This record gives sequence, structure tokens and C-alpha cells, in this order.
Amino acid sequence: MAKVTLTVNGEARTASVSPETTLLRLLREEFGLTGSKLGCDVGDCGACTVMVDGKSVNSCLMLAVQADGRDVVTIEGLATMERLHPLQQLFEDKGSLQCGFCGPGIIISAKALLDENPDPTEEEIRDALAGNLCRCTGYSKMIEAVRAVARAGRDERTAGSVA
Amino acid sequence: MDKKETDDKKAAVIERESQTEALREMLRAPAAAPLAPLPLETLVPEVRQQTPAVRQRATRPDARLHGLGQTKYIDDFYLPGMLFAKIKRAGIASARIVRIDTKEAEALPGVVAVVTARDVPCNSFGPSLKDQPVLAGERVFHAGDGVAAVAAVTEQIAAEALEKIEVEYEPVTPVLDPLESLKLETPGLHAPNPNIYGHKVIRKGDVEKGFAASYRIFEASYRTQMVEHVPLEPHSSLATWDANGRVTIYSTLGRITLGRADLARTLAVPMSRIRIIATVVGGNFGGKNEITTEPVVALLAKKTGRPVKCTFTRPEEFTSSTTRHPIIMDYKTGVTKEGRILARQVRLVLDGGAYCSWSETTLAKACILSPGPYDIENIYAEAFVVYTNKTMTGAMRGFGAPQVCFAYESHMDDIAEALGIDPLEIRLRNVLREGSLSPTSQQLHSVVVRETLLQAAQRFGWNGAEVRA
Repeated sequence: MAKVTLTVNGEARTASVSPETTLLRLLREEFGLTGSKLGCDVGDCGACTVMVDGKSVNSCLMLAVQADGRDVVTIEGLATMERLHPLQQLFEDKGSLQCGFCGPGIIISAKALLDENPDPTEEEIRDALAGNLCRCTGYSKMIEAVRAVARAGRDERTAGSVA
Repeated sequence: MDKKETDDKKAAVIERESQTEALREMLRAPAAAPLAPLPLETLVPEVRQQTPAVRQRATRPDARLHGLGQTKYIDDFYLPGMLFAKIKRAGIASARIVRIDTKEAEALPGVVAVVTARDVPCNSFGPSLKDQPVLAGERVFHAGDGVAAVAAVTEQIAAEALEKIEVEYEPVTPVLDPLESLKLETPGLHAPNPNIYGHKVIRKGDVEKGFAASYRIFEASYRTQMVEHVPLEPHSSLATWDANGRVTIYSTLGRITLGRADLARTLAVPMSRIRIIATVVGGNFGGKNEITTEPVVALLAKKTGRPVKCTFTRPEEFTSSTTRHPIIMDYKTGVTKEGRILARQVRLVLDGGAYCSWSETTLAKACILSPGPYDIENIYAEAFVVYTNKTMTGAMRGFGAPQVCFAYESHMDDIAEALGIDPLEIRLRNVLREGSLSPTSQQLHSVVVRETLLQAAQRFGWNGAEVRA
């Protein structure tokens, strides 16, 4: 067993894990953070996407021990019921999710994109979401939602610079 | 109408509108909406009253929790003391099982129980024909058949235990081609039952007469492939028995009532002792319409006295859940010089895979819809579904309709091209109209195929669409 210490959604967490434990299993089974999903276990579907040190990562492909000392953000770290992250608000408003299973991963991928590039082109959005599979929606409303968040951010920045 | 009556009506309208407003609010993400009960008359619409939901842009009721990552799918449930189950797959399409040795797996530290076909009280189930085993006993009919299952304290140990189970197979020549399976001399997979396990014929008018009167006759054959639903959420179930011998099964199953009947049969437990809890499903598309892991986890939970969960791996989704029927579709169509269809003859051969599943429904729907949305006086459509040693086929979005649509529309295009008629025009000349008789001679109402085609053609700018409209 190996001891890992990491920051999860802003909180310091410690666990003792067997060496083959993935970051996804650590989050789901040790920390009870089931928002990140196991869809394929081989890094194809993106349902397990979390942010590690600001980058989106397939948590099923990362060992828990590799996350030692790092900063992990999962879907649960984004918002509360009353105060949604703009991405969650727009995903809700635009009807971007259907069964919702891929949602946490997609929202995290979109957040990682916007954190790095607040004003992405549609192509950049598509590229950022390319590692996340969805079988229900056909993706278009998700892309629309990410664009709307980017647009709102842009408007805010413009308003800020005028003031 | 006196003034009071008018005022009452106005008041009623205002009252209804305010209730409608409240209902609209409620339609918006109920998970987030405050718990404010509405009057019963608002919730139960009057006869013929249109629901206020029509024309509203409602957000999905489950959107909030989905976005927050707080929706609990079956695999998100962890009960205290829960064990993880894995199923060993045959990996061979057709074989006799000579011997299964589970001793080494049972001895592995962390393994709590192993079950095989011998532990299944009644080893057959299915939505119509009961031809599917919970775990294969004497015979393997497709590579995705389960032959043994393990419950262990971690998924990792369960997976390791599977590798320690020894199974000796005596291979049996598999039947893989549905046309081969269709031949009467081909040995039956599930002998003494024949390989053709479903058959349907639709007759309308007299095709021979129609062909005789035709200007030209076109013949073509079309094939579709096997398709997997690939829901993002793999099949999953969790079973736990209470002290009084009742079992609760949390499952991704879409048809829980049918599942309950299948579980009562396979477990030999009265239905009254079985409770199935289905929650939000992470994609179904027809693939979660019958039990898969449920009886296995129930047996393992019974044997160990602990809750047991089993979630399909992604490969298992492909090999051990149902898929869409591949269909071999032979079409023969007789037309006039103007492209009017006088007769259509269709033969469908559905590849049913190893077990029946929802084949009967698929067979019937594919057969009924195979002539297409066209007003054809003379029809003969015949469909067969046969066993092959492949992943079983079952329900999937449309139950056979997409396959035949591919065939009849491809056929229409070919005929149009050969006759030098615009592909839209040939369809307009043949489509069902108000009062037309369907292939099964049902009189149809509210038929707007023509209008739909014209509008669609206009909207995507089909050449000449404007002129015709």
C-alpha cells in the first residue's frame, strides 16, 4: 500500500492505496466523489475527466500515486446547488445534457479549455471536447453552451474595460 | 352570456394562467425548484386540455443534478460490506463445456464466492423465448456467454480470480452466416428447436399480377451490420438480501417489471420477494431491456450474505449485451413507366445471434415497415429470424425500422435513376396519402408524408423543390 496526499477540490486529502489503484477509483471509492464516471477504463470515453494541476486528465489512466502532491478538481468542486458554475448554468439552460453520464467529464474538459483560453473558436471547443464521448446529444448543444459561456465572459471583460 | 358569467370565465382564465405559470416554473429543473405543491386540478389536466408544457422551452428536470455530478447511477452506489463481481466470458463462439475448475479462484485471498451454472436454480430466461442461460452450463453459444462469476472484496481481485478459473471446452463448428443457418439441413443451435425461430408473412393484393402488369422489374439486395448501443453508462446491478429473504436489486434495467418476472424464474423466488429499483439511466437505446448481471449478483449476494455489485466492462458491453440485428434484405419491385410502384416483394433474413431476446418484436416491425411509406397495392413481405453463434441481437432504437428504411430508400433511388425520374418526384408519386392502406391494410389517417417531403426539400434547397411546391 502507498500513501498519497493530494488536494481535492481545495481540500487536503490523504489515502492509503494499492499501487494499481487509479486516480478515478481513489476519487470514487475512497473519497466518495462519484461525479467522475467509469465509462470505458481505457481513456477512450472521457467520462472520468478531472483537472490535475489545471489540465484535463482521464483519471482512469492516471494512477492514484501519480496524483500525489497534486491539485485535483472534480465536477463536485465546481459549484453548489444554488451557485452554479457558468458552464453548469448554460448546460442546464441549453439542454446540453440528456442522460447526463458524460456531463461531468465534458463540463470539466470545457472548464480546462476556458481557464486556458477564455475566448475559444468553435474549432477549439470541438478540439477540447474531442476526448469526451456522448451517445445522446450529438454534441451541438454542448458546443453552443460552451460558446455562450465564452461570449458572456467576453462581454464581462469588455464591460470591465469600458468602466 | 350575462356579465357575471363572462367575469367568471375571465377569472377562470386568469386563475388557469397563473397556475400555468407555476407549472412552467415547476417544469424548470424540479431538482432545483422549491417544494411548493400545486393544486391537484393543475397537475391533473382536464380531458382534451392541452398541457401547458407544449411550446414551452423547458429545461430538463434532471439537468441540475446531472451538471453538478450529483446524479447517482447504479455504479455510484456503494453499500457497506459490498463485494464486487466479475463474470468470466467464454471467448469461444460455439463449444461444449467439458469441465470448469474454480478451486484456484476460490482459494485466492479476497475472493468470497464463485458461482457457475450449477448454482442457478432455473438457468433460462428471455422476453419471449426462454432460451438464454444466466451462465452457460453445458453449451456455449456465443463468445460473450458467461461461464462463471466471482465476488471479491475488490474489483481487482475479482478480475484476477477470473483468470484462475479453468474451463475446458470442446469446440463445436459455429454457424456464423445467417443464410447458412436458414438452410434446413444446418444443424440447429438449440436443437431440437429449428434455427429459424421467428417467421412472419404479410400479403396484400397479388404481387404476381402486379409484376405481370409492370413496365420494369427491379431486384436488389441490401445488408446492414451489427450495431452496439454503446450507452456511456455500462450495464450495472447491485443486489442485497434482507433478513427475511427478500432481495433488492438496484439496476440499470429499463423494463423492471419484466426483469422481476425473469428474476423470479431464474432465482426461483416468488416475485413478491423481489424488489427492483431502477434509477436514472446513463443511456439505454433499447440495450437495457432485459436482465444481464442481475441474477448473477443476486446469487452471489445470497451465497455470501453481503451486497454484491457487478458493472460491465466496456468490452462486455460489446460481447455480452444485445445489439442491433443485421438484416439481409432482398427487394423486388415492379413499376410503371412513370415510376408508380405496382408490386413489391421483400425477403428479410434477420441475424438473431445466439438467443431470441427481442427478435420477435424486431422481426414483426421490420416486416410491416419493409415496403416503405408507399401506397402499394400488391405486397408480399416475408421475414425470418435465425440463430447464429454470435452476440445476441435485440431491441435497439426503431426495432428493425432503420434497417429496412436503408433498403427501401436505396431501392427507390436506384429505380428513380434507372427510369430517369427525380428521386423526390418518384417518392411523391408513390407516398401514402390520407386514407391509404398500410401494408397490413390498416387505413391511415393524418398522413402528411407528401407535405413533409416537400417542406424538407424546400428547406434544404433540393433542386426543383420550389417549382413543385
